[in-house]
Amino acid sequence: MNETVRDCWKSFGEFVSTFGGFQLFSFQIVPYLPKVVRRPWLIIEQLYEIGALSLVLIMFGGLFVGMVLALQSYNTLAEFGSADSVGAFASEALVRELGPVVAALLFAGRAGSAVASEVGLMRATEQIAALELMAVDPLERIIVPRFLAGAISVPLLAAIFSAMGILGAYFVGTFLFGIDEGAFWSQISTRVDLYPDVASGLLKSVIFGISASLMAVYEGYHASPNAAGVSRAATRTVVITSVWILLLDFVLTGLMLTEV
Amino acid sequence: MFAKNQSDSLVEILDLHYSRGGRQIFDGLNMRIPRGKVTAVLGPSGTGKSTLLQLITGQLNPDHGVVLFDGKTVCPCSRRSLYAIRRQMGVLFQQGALLTNLNVYENVAFPLREHTDLPEALIRQTVIMKLHAVGLRTAWQHMPSQLSGGMARRVALARALVMDPKLMIYDEPFVGLDPISMGAIVQLIRQTNHALGVTSIVVTHDVEETRKLADLSYLISDGKVAARGTPEELQRAKSELVRQFMLGRADGPVPFHRPGPDYAQQLLTMARS
Repeated sequence: MNETVRDCWKSFGEFVSTFGGFQLFSFQIVPYLPKVVRRPWLIIEQLYEIGALSLVLIMFGGLFVGMVLALQSYNTLAEFGSADSVGAFASEALVRELGPVVAALLFAGRAGSAVASEVGLMRATEQIAALELMAVDPLERIIVPRFLAGAISVPLLAAIFSAMGILGAYFVGTFLFGIDEGAFWSQISTRVDLYPDVASGLLKSVIFGISASLMAVYEGYHASPNAAGVSRAATRTVVITSVWILLLDFVLTGLMLTEV
Repeated sequence: MFAKNQSDSLVEILDLHYSRGGRQIFDGLNMRIPRGKVTAVLGPSGTGKSTLLQLITGQLNPDHGVVLFDGKTVCPCSRRSLYAIRRQMGVLFQQGALLTNLNVYENVAFPLREHTDLPEALIRQTVIMKLHAVGLRTAWQHMPSQLSGGMARRVALARALVMDPKLMIYDEPFVGLDPISMGAIVQLIRQTNHALGVTSIVVTHDVEETRKLADLSYLISDGKVAARGTPEELQRAKSELVRQFMLGRADGPVPFHRPGPDYAQQLLTMARS
């Protein structure tokens, strides 16, 4: 029993220390943002590594989620004589909820873990120390460009995810269930608005992008300089980011619904 | 020889105390690294040789005492002043620490791109010149993963020298090298020192290579300087500790068995529990 209490206390202590460290790290990188923005090629390079290379996964993910949404919703909507609303249903679900959340989760799995391992490995192989000793600030040269690239990528990836999802729903709705093409698209244009639908989805994906990228660079930068440390950083990035995004999504959705 | 206000020593370590995890690593260490010479820092494993380098480069802060570089205190309190000092230092890491996403050329050009506004043509000339000096001009397009350990270290040396530092620090430069690569590194350290007048600190436990290389050697043990002199003077030293180290004896003042409870007593205690 004592051991369980001790373990719980230790875990709580670790959580508080990680959370505190994460907050401090967030404040620490803020002064570097304008400096890095003035060196856009550093961000562009990372946009390719982090954003462009995640495109295939995001597009496939979006396409199949949209197709499944159409398959699942068709029967229920048809019962109420609203089969034409399959597109509108899928679009609302994708733009407001699934696009930002699933894109951020996929981002954490593909790019977040890659960034955490890359930065962790740089520490383990003394590349971070070498930068420091060459009087080059690793936060400016390595961390902030990756953070900004991630934060920019996630909203764009979420938009592509949603677009592909709608396309998936369109294929299933029109080709499989024979819904009229015009009805499919007109339902979407009637039901999906820029505000609150697109705006709330965009706001969520911006917040998720900042959180996921920050977690990836934080875990990588603070990884223990050995093989186990690097692997732990990658795992923690995926696990913590996923839980954090789902929690944030609940809070943000609650706030947005209250506002609407 | 030097300007009047310039000390003969480029690096001075005065009454340095440093402890980590409750263990006293340096306890009143005093060292002077003469300008334009190669100084070897020797010592058994775990004596804090690499920690000393971290203190000299301002990666660590001493508990007490001071490290002076060219008369200025190396202090991690202000990043700007620390980086100004580090720009005059070059460090060769044990494994080279090349940036793995850049090729050889870009690795060597990296400090120039970060710290200068030199035109590309001049950067190209400088990089090729430095790579030629380490014998790897033709490998400029290679990625670090395509280099052997010795080659990676030579590229790292070219990168460390590209800003023409006043001080070169070599952290265990001979570890894991074949005799040819080791010979190349020894020759390069010597050449760098002669041709460019760079002050060098070589942290090593390789007595044989130190003899070929160093003008002055420090032997560190128990947080203090145990012996100081030319490699020949250390060879002739009477101190048991120095003799044990220089002759590579397994037992002596640095015991083979880690100090602890009596062997028989420990066996009995473990059998009972």
